Amino acid sequence: MIEIKNICKSFEGRDVLKDISAVFEKGKTNLIIGQSGSGKTVLLKSIVGLFEIECGEILFDGRDVRTMDFKEQKLLRQEIGMVFQNGALFDSLTVEENVRFPMDMFTNKGLKEKIKRVNFCLDRVNIKESNHLYPSEISGGMRKRVAIARAIALNPKYLFCDEPNSGLDPVTSILIDSLIKDITAEFDITTIINTHDMNSVMEIGDKILFISEGQKCWEGNNTQIFSTRNKKLNAFVFASPFSKKFRELKKMEEDE
Amino acid sequence: MGVLYHIGQYFLLLVRVFKKPEKNSIYRQQLVFEIEKLGINSIGIVAIISVFMGGIITLQLTYNMVSPLMPNYIIGLGNRDTLILEFSSTILSLMLAGKVGSNIASELGSMRITEQIDSMEIMGVNSASYLILPKIIAVVFMSPLLFIISVACGLFGGLITGPLSGTVTVATYITGITTLFVPYYVAFSIIKTFVFGFLIATVPAYLGYYVQGGALEVGRASTKAVVNTSILILFFDLVLTQLLFK
Repeated sequence: MIEIKNICKSFEGRDVLKDISAVFEKGKTNLIIGQSGSGKTVLLKSIVGLFEIECGEILFDGRDVRTMDFKEQKLLRQEIGMVFQNGALFDSLTVEENVRFPMDMFTNKGLKEKIKRVNFCLDRVNIKESNHLYPSEISGGMRKRVAIARAIALNPKYLFCDEPNSGLDPVTSILIDSLIKDITAEFDITTIINTHDMNSVMEIGDKILFISEGQKCWEGNNTQIFSTRNKKLNAFVFASPFSKKFRELKKMEEDE
Repeated sequence: MGVLYHIGQYFLLLVRVFKKPEKNSIYRQQLVFEIEKLGINSIGIVAIISVFMGGIITLQLTYNMVSPLMPNYIIGLGNRDTLILEFSSTILSLMLAGKVGSNIASELGSMRITEQIDSMEIMGVNSASYLILPKIIAVVFMSPLLFIISVACGLFGGLITGPLSGTVTVATYITGITTLFVPYYVAFSIIKTFVFGFLIATVPAYLGYYVQGGALEVGRASTKAVVNTSILILFFDLVLTQLLFK
């Protein structure tokens, strides 16, 4: 479980995160949603420690990151897996070397054992016979899946995904979503996903945090989100003509 | 203020770079890779440039310095000392600042903007040390080797063009390059190449590592890396010459 309490962050005097508190539960896919520029990525990167927060607390299973020393923070980071927006695979390494990288760095396993684990992780994300390809030789969807495989290589307790569906077609997006959801349940991970994809919200939103202009505006799940009266959230959720139609149909259904 | 900020950041980065590596075996692999990429792959261009420069220096000496009052072996001697004291150490380092420096800055810059460095940090890897330390060791220790190759190739270039110009024979040229040899000149230049090698690896690494933005900024950082490293090489050439020749 990850708990954030009253987090604040500003850049050059501009407040980007304003007093945000939330609890992200274990074994569930926790979504942070909001418009572009609302502060989602800053929030996610603040939780993983890429940005230093100015006030508040971040607790990983009760352990406060801000009071940890360098060694403790380093150990905590080995419990974290992160999938970046574009995969962030290392260009100079093959698919296999990319997934093996955290094991090479932090374990004393033999090569055979590491390759076995690599193959297990790649198999888990449905990637076969691509071990010796470079990131530039595989598709965007495959890159995301390899990034997920790398993120789970060290059996993380916490998984962070920054817009895992951006730039992907709807079918691949659904595959990625279900993969993350399955992995979260299978390994009992605390997963936090940053997204503005409404399909993801509907499919895997066990818990949803809506952020607008750096503030928490709403909290709930994927069934509550369609019946909320929060104006900002409704404007976000029902922005597309398709979702507007969906809302009208839902209203008609309720009236009947 | 800006300059002081960058100097401070540069030294803070160096502190991170020289922290104890996570795993020595991985760093050794990376070092071999960097030696090949930054050092071995530069030998060809260094050799070509040095052969031509040795030939050009010899021709310039032939046309401008030969007179009945001076012995002809001055051509070989002049070529040797020019190569050892300045060309193969300083000018070659300026060239390497262009080739190796821009490579380092653009590589690290690209890794930064594509979040590869962030992903290493999240894993708990000291990205500064993992990415930069092997480059520093590779460039610092390959620079003296490139210097020696450059001197040898430059002398060979002179050996070809000198006799071809008709003013100096092979024997006189060889007499020139073996006369009045001061071993300290070689030591002086090797010290310089160590310093220049350090600058060639660290200044572009700093500029690449802290790139913010996109492809345009990576290009800018790469250009800035070459310009700043070149200026620093010339500045330290001046300082080291003053210090080591006093």
